[in-house]
Amino acid sequence: MEHKQAVWIALLFTGGLFLQACAPPQPGPNLLAPTAAQMKLRSYQSRSFEATDPSQAMRGVVAALQDLGFIIERANEPMGLVTAARFAEPNYTDVMGITVTVRSQTEGHMMIRANAIYNNKPIEDPKVYQNFFATLERSLFITKE
Amino acid sequence: MVWGTLLALLALNNGCTTPTQPAELLQLSPESSQNRAMQIRIFETSNENELLSASAAVLQDLGLQIEESVRQMGFLRATKERSAREYGQDFTRFFMGLLSLGNFRMPVDLHQKIAAVLIARPINQDGTKHEVRIMFYRVVWQGDGQADRQYIPPGEQKMEMIRDPLIYQEFFFKLSKAVFLEAFTI
Repeated sequence: MEHKQAVWIALLFTGGLFLQACAPPQPGPNLLAPTAAQMKLRSYQSRSFEATDPSQAMRGVVAALQDLGFIIERANEPMGLVTAARFAEPNYTDVMGITVTVRSQTEGHMMIRANAIYNNKPIEDPKVYQNFFATLERSLFITKE
Repeated sequence: MVWGTLLALLALNNGCTTPTQPAELLQLSPESSQNRAMQIRIFETSNENELLSASAAVLQDLGLQIEESVRQMGFLRATKERSAREYGQDFTRFFMGLLSLGNFRMPVDLHQKIAAVLIARPINQDGTKHEVRIMFYRVVWQGDGQADRQYIPPGEQKMEMIRDPLIYQEFFFKLSKAVFLEAFTI
């Protein structure tokens, strides 16, 4: 009797396991909705700076990236876009990429957003972005003078 | 066999350096000001167009081809591809092979791409002074090799910044002659 029961339980278990695969996952209504982690990441990556001239802000961004040893790959002024990359010395095989966008926010303010990747993996450490904005702040200050 | 493995390990050892800590990423390195001084020259001119086209001409004189240019940003990128073969590396490869009794074939550099990125920008309000910053770097592709039974496929890339001050001095010397202006250091 006990034996039979155990067999049934085992059968039910395996059946349950297979059942899961049969029900197609229903896309929820918030499939493309921003998650809390995304919003947090965006806030790390963006900072508002006091600047009136978008072109000057762009040049400040380029100078900051160059100071950090980045190689500018693409720069598009009308779009406010700069893409750059560098090898994470002394590891010559590791590559770090960054995209910076500059947008006018309100009168006299520019919203600057940076997305950095390390060996094709996004960097999510807020400290890295803080470092970047500290350098950028200095560079924008010098450009303004 | 053991020797081969040891040698291979030694050769591959520089790949095992600890990865850069995230906190250090995007932080100014101590050498950055030194690099700045090497890469930047200031020209007393208000004509950014002329400065850029003269820079493009000098890069062409150095055998590079302009790949990308954005006038509004004063941006130029140029490259040239050349062979990266060095006899020294072939000797090392031969002796390493001999020492490891044929178990280790060191990959040698085959091909390289030398590139320059140049940015010209005004540095004062009325735009009478411009700075030109240039950075040279190279990407090297390696040939194939072997460590014990493990075949090392060709095509591994290695990249490095070119930090030889002479190359930068030569570029700026040519540029200042081309625009008839003196190049000031920062």
